Amino acid sequence: MSTYWRTFKTAAWLGWEMDSNWTEPWLFVLYSVIKPVAGAFILVLMYIVFVAIGRPQGDPDAFSYMYVGNSFFIFVASVLFGTFQVIQSDREWYQTIRYVYISPISYYVYILGRAASKIAVSVFAVAITLVFGVMFLGVRLHLALTDVPLFLVSTALGLSVLLAIGICLGGISFLTAKHTHGLAEGIPGLFYVFCGVLFPLSVLPNWGQAVGRAIPLTYWFDITRRLLTEGSTVNTTLGGYDAPTILLFLVVSSVGFFGLSVLIYKIGEYFARKAGKIDMTTSY
Amino acid sequence: MSVATDRRTDLKYRVGLNLRAVVGRSYPRIVGANREPSWIFFEAFLPLLGIAAYVFIYQFFGLQATAAILGNPPMCGDHVCASVAEQNQYLAAVNANTNALIASVVLGGTMVAFWLNVLWSMASQLYWEKEIGNLQLYMMAPMNRMALLGGMAVGGMVMTSMRAVSTLVAGIFVFGVIFQVANPLLLLAVFFATLIALYGLGMMFASLYLLWGREAWNLSALMEEPIFFSSGFYFPLGGLFRIPGWGPAVAIAGSFIPASIGLDALRQLTLGSTAFGGSLWIFNVTTELEILVGMAVLFLILARYCLAYLETLAKREGKLTSRHQ
Amino acid sequence: MSYAVETRDLTRVFSGKKKRWWRRKPTPDEEESLGPVTALDGVSLQIREGELFGLLGPNGAGKTTLIKILATLLLPTSGQALVAGHDVTKDPFPIRQRINMVSGGETSGYGLLTARENIWMFSQFYGVPSKVSKARIDELMHIFGLWDKRDAKVRMLSTGQRQKMNMIRGFVTGPDILFLDEPTLGLDVNAARVIREYVMNWVRGQAGKTVLLTSHYMAEADQMCDRIAIIDKGRILACDTPANLKRMIRTETTFQLEVDTIRDTTSFMGLQGVKNFSHKDDISKNRSHLTFILEDEGPVAEILSSITSQGAKVHSLQKSEPTLEDVFISMVGRGLD
Repeated sequence: MSTYWRTFKTAAWLGWEMDSNWTEPWLFVLYSVIKPVAGAFILVLMYIVFVAIGRPQGDPDAFSYMYVGNSFFIFVASVLFGTFQVIQSDREWYQTIRYVYISPISYYVYILGRAASKIAVSVFAVAITLVFGVMFLGVRLHLALTDVPLFLVSTALGLSVLLAIGICLGGISFLTAKHTHGLAEGIPGLFYVFCGVLFPLSVLPNWGQAVGRAIPLTYWFDITRRLLTEGSTVNTTLGGYDAPTILLFLVVSSVGFFGLSVLIYKIGEYFARKAGKIDMTTSY
Repeated sequence: MSVATDRRTDLKYRVGLNLRAVVGRSYPRIVGANREPSWIFFEAFLPLLGIAAYVFIYQFFGLQATAAILGNPPMCGDHVCASVAEQNQYLAAVNANTNALIASVVLGGTMVAFWLNVLWSMASQLYWEKEIGNLQLYMMAPMNRMALLGGMAVGGMVMTSMRAVSTLVAGIFVFGVIFQVANPLLLLAVFFATLIALYGLGMMFASLYLLWGREAWNLSALMEEPIFFSSGFYFPLGGLFRIPGWGPAVAIAGSFIPASIGLDALRQLTLGSTAFGGSLWIFNVTTELEILVGMAVLFLILARYCLAYLETLAKREGKLTSRHQ
Repeated sequence: MSYAVETRDLTRVFSGKKKRWWRRKPTPDEEESLGPVTALDGVSLQIREGELFGLLGPNGAGKTTLIKILATLLLPTSGQALVAGHDVTKDPFPIRQRINMVSGGETSGYGLLTARENIWMFSQFYGVPSKVSKARIDELMHIFGLWDKRDAKVRMLSTGQRQKMNMIRGFVTGPDILFLDEPTLGLDVNAARVIREYVMNWVRGQAGKTVLLTSHYMAEADQMCDRIAIIDKGRILACDTPANLKRMIRTETTFQLEVDTIRDTTSFMGLQGVKNFSHKDDISKNRSHLTFILEDEGPVAEILSSITSQGAKVHSLQKSEPTLEDVFISMVGRGLD
């Protein structure tokens, strides 16, 4: 156990130094705030432009739906990136992967440790984005005290699934060239489209809705929004189920996804070793 | 040197040297990237999903607006519809605006591909080259440094065109966007002027980043989202002028990125200047083309001088070859 | 006399790291390591055209800094450096036309390109016409034994193959002056021999070619170089032909001993008549190899007694002709390893 803890602590320290020590602390804090708030602003402006040209009375429920989804999506983008980029940056950038990989530690724990600082920063960013929305953009949020345990459990589950998916992507990126940005942009994009983050599943074609229902993040976003924006008029297509049922869906699909992710990682790792790609560099 | 051959320094030699350097540096991008099959999936297909999300948002807004117009009571703007004719008129307007916004997203997505390429494969590229040990070999070679950046830009444009084209094709065939191009020559002129200005800006950033290590990487990351919203990649930038107070200020700041003016002109040329009631455009196309040409020249000149100055500074501080900063 | 490379009182100081308020206060030792570092301290050198010139020094002596300045990658803090008669600070373009550089352990190039493509790409930055470049690459690939790997992607090359590729990159542009920074580092005996022979033939087989070589391998420098400069802590300690350098310590006596591994070597320097010494441990055999530079044979008895008093056994004692390594030890006070 102590080896795991030591690995985690060291990797977390390394991840934190890599993330933050390139600049002054105040600039790092500013950076950590500006990026997510600016990301939320893209959607705010899309909404404002649509309202300006088509629907002057506005649609606060649609806006809140989108805003809360987008705020929590910060977790998706940063946790996924924080996890899979460990392999790509250690391999292509710092070229230290071979030394870490052959050391007698759990590589999973190392990856999770390296991602820890990104998760910590993203908690801060999500909170800032939500507070900004409530204070300046009229987003309506409410979390009942009795819902707090459910909220915490679902958030923990959601983050676990994200870590598992990140590890799975890491396994895949063992085999591919340097695609940090393609992955960073594309994989979250997949969840952006199919998991009802910004718009309800009903907007998607039937096959798209089926894909969405197979991904645990869809249930995580749904339950989070139920707890934070109660009384929304937006038809989520999962409205027929109560919160515990959605949580059950989340648990079941998470377990399935977790197993699948570990399997894909293992396969990726196996083929990378077989092809001698563990420590390749592919810059272009 | 007494015995060694005197080397040529005439103009013809220099032009030839720098053209070869451009071809040489663009080669790894064009050939190397496409040589890796996974590239097509990661760099061309996956980013389409992000674009799709923005398309669906407008469809969602459109459906919500349509539901309100068809609701009980039927709402036409802020009042109850007076007649079926008014209701139909509002429905048609919502449809037209939604489609035009989706088309704007598709065009924006095309330009996003180039912007991301400028940020990640131009601006912060020299940092990357330093890390893998190429920068010192480049800086020791006799070619003009602008030729090096030019090669990166040409390679980047060609490489990114695939993603841009796949976005356009998906827009037309998957999302049913209809473009009406009345003046293809002007469209091409605007497109290439935008690209040259954009990559000129990238060259300038590349030189500014020469001194930096991970700061460069993080600054590029920081420039993604704010520029997405201030440059109107996913909505017509003119919409910002409808927001009193900070809206115009953000739009003006965003206009310094050539993609914003370029996109405005491209949207006018492909959607028709009467789209969105003709009220969301910043300038007319000719003026925007002139601005783009001006920006292209300005950024290229600035890049040239920044690079020369910062190369000297980097050599003085010993940062041209120090890795893992 | 025309010089390929000439430096006058060349100095390079690297400024220290900035102190950050959020970091803990550095200890006095750390404080020293954060301060400015003088990598070159008044170096004056002349390398003649057509010469194969060696630069020997321990790690951190300033060899790579000097090469970087000469290759126009780094500006001197003070002093002057001329390459092919041009000032590296004021007039780098004509220098760049005439030089190239190859470093040992270099990882340059793009992993997705083949070896041939990578070399071709770099040749384009020197304006070498594609046809000429490709012909030269093919020829050099045959010479360096890389022909079989011409179409292999760089990421699939071994360390030795990669280094051969780097050597070809250095020669393909037809430089007049080549900077070789530890070019055989980590290479096997055969690969190193191929490279050494090619470099020597390249310099001596045609007029006007000059090489500045840094190396850790004394025998390599001794075999290859016309003249050698010994550098330590940024200063040139001596500069002459290998024969003359060895002659400098011919008045001195060199003894080599193989003994059981010994712990305390500090007492040797205190012995009268010991000018310098170095020691290497061979852990696998549990032995120490000691090299003594002595003013005469007087101190030998005292040395032996000092060794045996530590309980170590002397396995061999040999008086030898001075080598370049002995010269190095005599001047720097320690060996290269």
